[in-house]
Amino acid sequence: MTEAPAPSAPTDGSRLSRRGVERLDLLLLTIEALDLNGGEAMVWTSQQMGLQAQFPNRVELWKRRCHNPLRRTTRRDQLDPVDAESLICLVCAMADRLYPLLHQLLSSREPEQLTQQRWQLFHERLRDLIEERMNQRREAVVRLLTMEPAGSLHRELISTLAFCAGPGGIDRLRATLLDPTP
Amino acid sequence: MLKTTYQYEQTAARLVVEGFPDLSAGHSNEAIGILSSWRLQLVGAPELEGTRDHLEALMGAVMPYARHRLSGVQRRFGQESGFVSIAPDQANHRLELRSSREGVEPLQLKLDDAELADLVRCLDRLRLDSRVKLTWTFPEDRPLKRQEIVDRVPLQKRLGPPLLAGVALACTIATAWLVPLPHETKESSPVPAPVEKPETQSDR
Repeated sequence: MTEAPAPSAPTDGSRLSRRGVERLDLLLLTIEALDLNGGEAMVWTSQQMGLQAQFPNRVELWKRRCHNPLRRTTRRDQLDPVDAESLICLVCAMADRLYPLLHQLLSSREPEQLTQQRWQLFHERLRDLIEERMNQRREAVVRLLTMEPAGSLHRELISTLAFCAGPGGIDRLRATLLDPTP
Repeated sequence: MLKTTYQYEQTAARLVVEGFPDLSAGHSNEAIGILSSWRLQLVGAPELEGTRDHLEALMGAVMPYARHRLSGVQRRFGQESGFVSIAPDQANHRLELRSSREGVEPLQLKLDDAELADLVRCLDRLRLDSRVKLTWTFPEDRPLKRQEIVDRVPLQKRLGPPLLAGVALACTIATAWLVPLPHETKESSPVPAPVEKPETQSDR
């Protein structure tokens, strides 16, 4: 199990940029698209990791995720670095839990038709979640929904989860989310 | 002294390391302070084995590659003349291993995303294993420099918008230059009639 960040979180005080927060929330949305019971599983996993203080229930978790400016309901203040670190650890722990699914989607050794069906199901679920949660008046959300081929972005999200699964992925994911905006 | 063996498995990859505790450094019996050999088994590929130098080269190429891959930067890692290098190969990854023995052709392995993720996870477990007291020499995971991020965008896409803006501006200036300015016409205004001053009492 991925461990929770220590109280003196190794974030060196760096705040995630707007794009970093958007990407982090999109990864959590991807996890929900993979796992139908993803919302509950996130709360349960956060409790297993000792993150009750940050996310005691689904509402608190939702509040943190609302820092994403692309959401229907957004919060204007910046995401606290400790909360961001907790969300990063949560993503890595959930990716670890869902790793067999991620592997199936990315593997070229799986039967072609079965892989296509799995991807199709994932595309539909993610699209539904984006439509349900995100503000469709935002140009970035419209781009997410109309992107052709949608598969390239979705594959990028799945491979990101696969490469940051487990405790070893925390540093990699944090560094990626702190990348400067081009 | 007993040889200690640890195994790290992840779906399509299995990494086995063997070694001894470095008693001079005060290691316990179950620790590995001196790596004697390692073996890597990937499904559908020949078994790889080598010494600590080879494992360090593998770690030094694969870990930064995975880090950069997450940021969308796809380039080769590992020196041309080194033991290991990894580079993107269309949608897959090409892992090239060179033997230290002379006359042995380099081995090329084609990995898909799932196999690479398996390998990365095995290496992650090894480097995070507190029983393996080895120090690895690969760069720490840090945010990339802006230039590296910018370089991933194709030149055409990067230069397109400013070039288009420049052309649009030039067209606007040229059009404005060609359109003749309206001539200023001076209308002759009538000479104002002299105003008769009414006489006041003080004038008298």
